[in-house]
Amino acid sequence: MASAAPSVPPSLTLPPSQFARLQPHAYLLAHLSPPASSNQPSIRANGRATSQFRVTSANTGSLTHTNGSAVVRVGDTTAVCGVRAEILPTDDIASWSVSHSSSSMNKRRKLTNPAQKPTQEEEDPEDETHIQQLNLLVPNLSLSTGCAPGFIPGAPPSALAQSLSHQILNLLHSTRLVRAEDLRIWYQPPSLGQEDLERHNESEQMDVDAERGEEVGKDKEIKAFWVLYIDIMIISLAGNPFDAAWAAVLAALRDTKLPRAWWDVDNEMVVCSDAVSESRKLSLRGLPVASSFCVFEADAAAGWRAVIIPDAEEEREIEESARKGIQRRWILADPDGYEEGLTQERVCIVVDKEEGTGKTVIVKMEKNGGWAVDGKELKALVDISAQRWGEVKHILEQC
Amino acid sequence: MVGPAATLTPLARADGSASYQCPSTGSNILGSVNAPVELPGRRDALKPEEATVEVFVKPGTAPAGVGERYVEGIIKGVLGRLILGRERGYPRRGVVVTLATVGGDSVGRGDSYLTLLPALLHTALLALLSASVPLSMTFSATVLAVSDSGEIIREPSTEQAAAAKSLHVLAFSSKGHLLLNESQGAFDFETWEKVHQRALAICHGTSAIGSDGDVAMVEDVDGQPLEGTIRETIEDQVHRDYAWKIDAV
Repeated sequence: MASAAPSVPPSLTLPPSQFARLQPHAYLLAHLSPPASSNQPSIRANGRATSQFRVTSANTGSLTHTNGSAVVRVGDTTAVCGVRAEILPTDDIASWSVSHSSSSMNKRRKLTNPAQKPTQEEEDPEDETHIQQLNLLVPNLSLSTGCAPGFIPGAPPSALAQSLSHQILNLLHSTRLVRAEDLRIWYQPPSLGQEDLERHNESEQMDVDAERGEEVGKDKEIKAFWVLYIDIMIISLAGNPFDAAWAAVLAALRDTKLPRAWWDVDNEMVVCSDAVSESRKLSLRGLPVASSFCVFEADAAAGWRAVIIPDAEEEREIEESARKGIQRRWILADPDGYEEGLTQERVCIVVDKEEGTGKTVIVKMEKNGGWAVDGKELKALVDISAQRWGEVKHILEQC
Repeated sequence: MVGPAATLTPLARADGSASYQCPSTGSNILGSVNAPVELPGRRDALKPEEATVEVFVKPGTAPAGVGERYVEGIIKGVLGRLILGRERGYPRRGVVVTLATVGGDSVGRGDSYLTLLPALLHTALLALLSASVPLSMTFSATVLAVSDSGEIIREPSTEQAAAAKSLHVLAFSSKGHLLLNESQGAFDFETWEKVHQRALAICHGTSAIGSDGDVAMVEDVDGQPLEGTIRETIEDQVHRDYAWKIDAV
């Protein structure tokens, strides 16, 4: 101790990294609104512009034991997604015989109706409810991987992990991304010739023959379903887990191949083909892309001082007057962990574009935790999300 | 349209409570608030200078699952910005909100919670007011469904919600800010703007959006704005609570 005292006195200036830890709010604010004299542009502490997303990369098919897999990296947030397909025989569904007999009768009635086109039949909402009713999609997101200091590895799923799992499942259902038809395993009874049958079992199976003769060709039967277990591991979390997780799910589903499966009458079970050439990919509906934003407030206390909250009308006027002067809040795209810790208001927009027209369709729009974002801001954010859609599409198509 | 019915302080032991029935969605929610309470085992991750808001949602028939975690997060986000967690007595303590579905349809796995969300939010708000938790503003929320034909249905039933093209939950503060927006299903921005306008009329009446000839018609359809309903519920309760004092005068 005594020998250390006469050495160099401690420096009174702080390196930027120390300042960022001690005064995180002031640090980010100083970056976003630099003093006019410094002639520096307004930029986020991580060097991005306010509406700039992090560098995104995707890689598919990395896991060989899954039906489809993807690794998506958005900056330092990395999500690994594996899709595993398992067979669910209809015999194992308790309510199947009841629910199916009624639905198949409906279908038969529809088929006899000449106005019904096969394409319409495919889009039949009744058919699509199978995915939701029978839980054919089972996403699960895990954060207990040591991905960030706040999450203890091996711990039970945190509230964040659970709500992300729910969001992904809900989005899979509401976008109807996976077609129910892709998950069905059909059985087509062989259409034996009428006279053939008659010759072989003339006396005993008269009734059966009569029944078959009526329904030959029509009586396709669902024997099993594919259930897709979609497991997402966030192996590194630096903010914005939803965008990365959803992109990983999307990439993995695009990569998913299901083997050709058929009903083996002799063994009374579903058999799969080994040949890769016979497997088929899922045909997904559209390509919904998620973009998240957060709102950084210049005044850290704006949330709790009751007296200063202006009316929505006043707010607009202040906004107008502040246009030239000092900005009060910034909407930051794709926030990293540091920015997420400093902000409360979140916006998440999922958009898709129609195939032919290129028209932007919003699939999900969430805004919570504050009052800075109103209609006007949301409109601007939808445009940014539509731009982001193009980028992500390009990335996913390349991998 | 029959407005919602609410009772304040039905529970004697909780610091504040409210029960809320929405006739059109058929939901019946009982909420309780305890605040401020000492929280056991505070972690460093939580902010020491503010109160911690904890929300628990209990579905009617099943144990709580991932869907409840998600809706708890939404409610926490809304309430977290409204509760003045730095007032005297609140920092480093907790505000615990428990919301139980007493009647109405329960939500299955992976189903959207949006039809129940306004009822849950209103119950939480009334329970907080009943517990006299300091708030910066109040709010009102509504759920709207857009059908295939583009018609906007206010507070849809479960069947209507399932058949709808998109579902929207919007919450407006008492000062007219958009506090919460949860939209799902395919829609474009013009549709959302219409939904936003309609929701604002439902929550705040038409005076908030100006005296337009077309909009005035909407007021008749929607009846009393929700903001007023909530305010009246509180006023009635205060009137009853202070009846001894008012009668004495």
